[in-house]
Amino acid sequence: MVMMLPFFTAMLAIWFGIRGQRTVAITSWVITFIIYLGWLKYHITDKLNISL
Amino acid sequence: MSFSNSLKGSSSQQWSYTFNMIGVLAICGSLIEAFYYQIFMHELPCPLCQLQRVALTMAGIGMMLNMRFGPSAVHYAIVLASSIAGAAASVRQILLHIEPGDPGYGSDLFGLHFYTWSFFSFLTMMIFCSMMLCIDRNNMTAAFKTAASALTAFVMYLFLTLAAANTVTSIMVCKFGSCPDNPTVYYWKF
Repeated sequence: MVMMLPFFTAMLAIWFGIRGQRTVAITSWVITFIIYLGWLKYHITDKLNISL
Repeated sequence: MSFSNSLKGSSSQQWSYTFNMIGVLAICGSLIEAFYYQIFMHELPCPLCQLQRVALTMAGIGMMLNMRFGPSAVHYAIVLASSIAGAAASVRQILLHIEPGDPGYGSDLFGLHFYTWSFFSFLTMMIFCSMMLCIDRNNMTAAFKTAASALTAFVMYLFLTLAAANTVTSIMVCKFGSCPDNPTVYYWKF
Protein backbone atom coordinates (compact mmCIF):
# COMPACT_ATOMS: atom_id res chain seq x y z
CA MET A 1 0.00 0.00 0.00
CA VAL A 2 0.99 3.57 -0.54
CA MET A 3 1.03 6.01 2.39
CA MET A 4 0.69 9.08 0.24
CA LEU A 5 -2.55 7.80 -1.30
CA PRO A 6 -4.97 8.97 1.46
CA PHE A 7 -3.28 12.39 1.50
CA PHE A 8 -3.67 12.59 -2.26
CA THR A 9 -7.34 11.58 -2.31
CA ALA A 10 -8.05 13.97 0.59
CA MET A 11 -6.38 16.73 -1.42
CA LEU A 12 -8.62 15.85 -4.37
CA ALA A 13 -11.69 16.01 -2.10
CA ILE A 14 -10.69 19.52 -0.98
CA TRP A 15 -10.03 20.58 -4.56
CA PHE A 16 -13.39 19.32 -5.80
CA GLY A 17 -15.06 20.98 -2.79
CA ILE A 18 -13.51 24.32 -3.70
CA ARG A 19 -14.53 23.82 -7.34
CA GLY A 20 -18.15 23.33 -6.23
CA GLN A 21 -18.41 19.64 -7.13
CA ARG A 22 -19.92 18.41 -3.88
CA THR A 23 -20.74 14.83 -4.93
CA VAL A 24 -17.25 14.23 -6.31
CA ALA A 25 -15.74 15.74 -3.17
CA ILE A 26 -17.78 13.41 -0.95
CA THR A 27 -16.88 10.42 -3.15
CA SER A 28 -13.19 11.33 -2.81
CA TRP A 29 -13.63 11.52 0.95
CA VAL A 30 -15.23 8.04 0.98
CA ILE A 31 -12.26 6.67 -0.99
CA THR A 32 -9.88 8.38 1.47
CA PHE A 33 -11.77 6.87 4.40
CA ILE A 34 -11.59 3.35 2.94
CA ILE A 35 -7.82 3.67 2.32
CA TYR A 36 -7.45 5.07 5.84
CA LEU A 37 -9.22 2.07 7.36
CA GLY A 38 -6.90 -0.23 5.42
CA TRP A 39 -3.84 1.57 6.78
CA LEU A 40 -5.33 1.65 10.27
CA LYS A 41 -5.80 -2.12 10.25
CA TYR A 42 -2.22 -2.54 9.01
CA HIS A 43 -0.73 -0.36 11.77
CA ILE A 44 -2.84 -1.09 14.84
CA THR A 45 -3.22 -4.86 14.76
CA ASP A 46 0.30 -5.87 15.82
CA LYS A 47 0.81 -6.95 19.42
CA LEU A 48 1.14 -4.26 22.11
CA ASN A 49 4.16 -4.49 24.40
CA ILE A 50 2.11 -4.50 27.59
CA SER A 51 0.73 -7.22 29.84
CA LEU A 52 -2.79 -6.91 31.18
CA MET B 1 -12.68 31.06 -9.26
CA SER B 2 -15.62 32.97 -7.91
CA PHE B 3 -17.71 32.34 -4.87
CA SER B 4 -20.50 34.50 -6.15
CA ASN B 5 -23.38 33.64 -3.86
CA SER B 6 -23.55 35.51 -0.62
CA LEU B 7 -24.37 33.97 2.72
CA LYS B 8 -27.98 34.81 3.40
CA GLY B 9 -30.32 33.57 6.02
CA SER B 10 -30.74 33.34 9.73
CA SER B 11 -28.17 34.15 12.35
CA SER B 12 -27.85 30.43 13.12
CA GLN B 13 -26.58 29.94 9.55
CA GLN B 14 -24.01 32.66 10.11
CA TRP B 15 -22.97 31.05 13.40
CA SER B 16 -22.69 27.73 11.61
CA TYR B 17 -20.50 29.27 8.92
CA THR B 18 -18.29 30.98 11.51
CA PHE B 19 -17.87 27.90 13.72
CA ASN B 20 -17.03 25.69 10.75
CA MET B 21 -14.49 28.20 9.53
CA ILE B 22 -12.90 28.30 12.99
CA GLY B 23 -12.80 24.48 12.87
CA VAL B 24 -10.99 24.44 9.52
CA LEU B 25 -8.57 27.11 10.76
CA ALA B 26 -7.88 25.09 13.93
CA ILE B 27 -7.12 22.03 11.79
CA CYS B 28 -4.84 24.12 9.56
CA GLY B 29 -3.10 25.36 12.71
CA SER B 30 -2.55 21.79 13.92
CA LEU B 31 -1.12 20.75 10.55
CA ILE B 32 1.16 23.82 10.45
CA GLU B 33 2.38 23.05 13.96
CA ALA B 34 3.12 19.45 12.89
CA PHE B 35 5.08 20.79 9.92
CA TYR B 36 6.99 23.15 12.21
CA TYR B 37 8.21 20.24 14.33
CA GLN B 38 8.93 18.17 11.22
CA ILE B 39 10.95 20.86 9.43
CA PHE B 40 12.61 22.85 12.22
CA MET B 41 12.89 20.20 14.97
CA HIS B 42 13.65 17.37 12.53
CA GLU B 43 10.96 15.10 13.99
CA LEU B 44 9.74 12.97 11.11
CA PRO B 45 6.19 11.63 11.40
CA CYS B 46 5.70 7.98 12.29
CA PRO B 47 3.01 5.96 10.44
CA LEU B 48 0.40 6.55 13.16
CA CYS B 49 1.31 10.26 13.16
CA GLN B 50 0.70 10.31 9.40
CA LEU B 51 -2.66 8.61 9.89
CA GLN B 52 -3.66 11.22 12.47
CA ARG B 53 -2.78 13.93 9.95
CA VAL B 54 -4.97 12.18 7.36
CA ALA B 55 -7.84 11.98 9.87
CA LEU B 56 -7.49 15.69 10.73
CA THR B 57 -7.63 16.50 7.02
CA MET B 58 -10.65 14.22 6.50
CA ALA B 59 -12.49 15.94 9.37
CA GLY B 60 -11.57 19.32 7.91
CA ILE B 61 -13.15 18.30 4.60
CA GLY B 62 -16.55 17.97 6.32
CA MET B 63 -16.20 21.42 7.90
CA MET B 64 -15.00 22.93 4.64
CA LEU B 65 -18.02 21.49 2.80
CA ASN B 66 -20.24 23.11 5.46
CA MET B 67 -18.54 26.43 4.71
CA ARG B 68 -18.77 26.01 0.96
CA PHE B 69 -22.24 24.52 0.49
CA GLY B 70 -24.04 25.22 3.75
CA PRO B 71 -24.61 22.82 6.64
CA SER B 72 -25.67 19.26 5.93
CA ALA B 73 -26.03 16.09 8.01
CA VAL B 74 -23.74 14.35 5.49
CA HIS B 75 -20.97 16.90 6.15
CA TYR B 76 -21.27 16.43 9.90
CA ALA B 77 -21.25 12.65 9.39
CA ILE B 78 -17.93 13.12 7.56
CA VAL B 79 -16.51 15.06 10.52
CA LEU B 80 -17.80 12.49 13.02
CA ALA B 81 -16.57 9.40 11.14
CA SER B 82 -13.17 11.03 10.58
CA SER B 83 -12.91 11.96 14.28
CA ILE B 84 -13.70 8.41 15.40
CA ALA B 85 -11.15 6.98 12.95
CA GLY B 86 -8.52 9.52 14.07
CA ALA B 87 -9.22 8.85 17.74
CA ALA B 88 -8.61 5.14 17.09
CA ALA B 89 -5.13 5.90 15.70
CA SER B 90 -4.23 8.29 18.52
CA VAL B 91 -5.46 5.92 21.26
CA ARG B 92 -3.37 3.18 19.70
CA GLN B 93 -0.30 5.41 19.83
CA ILE B 94 -1.02 6.39 23.44
CA LEU B 95 -1.22 2.68 24.34
CA LEU B 96 2.08 1.99 22.55
CA HIS B 97 3.82 4.37 24.96
CA ILE B 98 1.79 3.75 28.11
CA GLU B 99 4.46 1.70 29.89
CA PRO B 100 6.06 3.44 32.90
CA GLY B 101 9.40 4.91 31.90
CA ASP B 102 8.57 5.05 28.19
CA PRO B 103 9.68 8.49 26.93
CA GLY B 104 7.01 8.48 24.22
CA TYR B 105 7.43 9.43 20.57
CA GLY B 106 8.67 12.91 19.70
CA SER B 107 8.47 16.14 21.65
CA ASP B 108 5.78 17.14 24.07
CA LEU B 109 3.74 20.32 24.18
CA PHE B 110 2.67 21.59 27.62
CA GLY B 111 3.50 18.19 29.09
CA LEU B 112 1.49 16.08 26.63
CA HIS B 113 2.70 14.33 23.51
CA PHE B 114 1.17 15.27 20.19
CA TYR B 115 -0.78 12.03 19.88
CA THR B 116 -2.43 12.79 23.23
CA TRP B 117 -3.31 16.28 22.03
CA SER B 118 -4.53 14.67 18.84
CA PHE B 119 -6.89 12.44 20.82
CA PHE B 120 -8.29 15.49 22.63
CA SER B 121 -8.70 17.22 19.26
CA PHE B 122 -10.75 14.35 17.86
CA LEU B 123 -12.82 14.25 21.05
CA THR B 124 -13.41 18.01 20.70
CA MET B 125 -14.54 17.53 17.10
CA MET B 126 -17.07 14.92 18.19
CA ILE B 127 -18.45 17.40 20.74
CA PHE B 128 -18.34 20.07 18.02
CA CYS B 129 -20.57 17.86 15.84
CA SER B 130 -23.06 17.39 18.69
CA MET B 131 -23.20 21.13 19.25
CA MET B 132 -23.44 22.02 15.56
CA LEU B 133 -26.14 19.46 14.87
CA CYS B 134 -28.24 21.31 17.47
CA ILE B 135 -27.43 24.76 16.08
CA ASP B 136 -28.03 23.66 12.46
CA ARG B 137 -31.08 21.47 13.12
CA ASN B 138 -33.29 23.66 10.91
CA ASN B 139 -30.69 24.49 8.27
CA MET B 140 -29.64 21.10 6.93
CA THR B 141 -30.12 21.97 3.28
CA ALA B 142 -26.61 22.22 1.80
CA ALA B 143 -28.20 24.78 -0.48
CA PHE B 144 -24.99 25.80 -2.19
CA LYS B 145 -24.50 29.04 -0.37
CA THR B 146 -21.14 30.46 0.43
CA ALA B 147 -19.80 33.77 1.59
CA ALA B 148 -18.15 35.85 -1.09
CA SER B 149 -15.30 36.76 1.16
CA ALA B 150 -11.59 36.67 0.57
CA LEU B 151 -11.29 35.00 3.97
CA THR B 152 -13.34 31.99 2.78
CA ALA B 153 -11.12 31.53 -0.25
CA PHE B 154 -7.99 32.03 1.85
CA VAL B 155 -9.01 29.39 4.41
CA MET B 156 -9.96 26.83 1.74
CA TYR B 157 -6.80 27.35 -0.29
CA LEU B 158 -4.65 27.26 2.85
CA PHE B 159 -6.27 23.91 3.69
CA LEU B 160 -5.64 22.66 0.14
CA THR B 161 -2.00 23.78 0.30
CA LEU B 162 -1.45 21.95 3.58
CA ALA B 163 -3.01 18.76 2.14
CA ALA B 164 -0.72 19.05 -0.89
CA ALA B 165 2.31 19.63 1.36
CA ASN B 166 1.39 16.54 3.39
CA THR B 167 1.14 14.51 0.18
CA VAL B 168 4.64 15.62 -0.85
CA THR B 169 6.25 15.06 2.55
CA SER B 170 4.63 11.63 2.89
CA ILE B 171 6.36 10.69 -0.38
CA MET B 172 9.63 12.11 0.96
CA VAL B 173 9.38 10.06 4.17
CA CYS B 174 7.76 6.88 2.88
CA LYS B 175 8.31 6.93 -0.90
CA PHE B 176 5.48 5.01 -2.58
CA GLY B 177 5.12 2.35 0.10
CA SER B 178 4.53 1.91 3.79
CA CYS B 179 6.38 4.15 6.25
CA PRO B 180 9.19 2.99 8.55
CA ASP B 181 8.12 2.65 12.21
CA ASN B 182 10.65 5.19 13.41
CA PRO B 183 11.71 7.38 10.48
CA THR B 184 14.90 9.40 10.97
CA VAL B 185 15.82 10.41 7.41
CA TYR B 186 14.02 11.53 4.28
CA TYR B 187 14.21 8.99 1.49
CA TRP B 188 13.82 11.74 -1.06
CA LYS B 189 15.01 15.31 -0.79
CA PHE B 190 14.39 18.15 -3.18
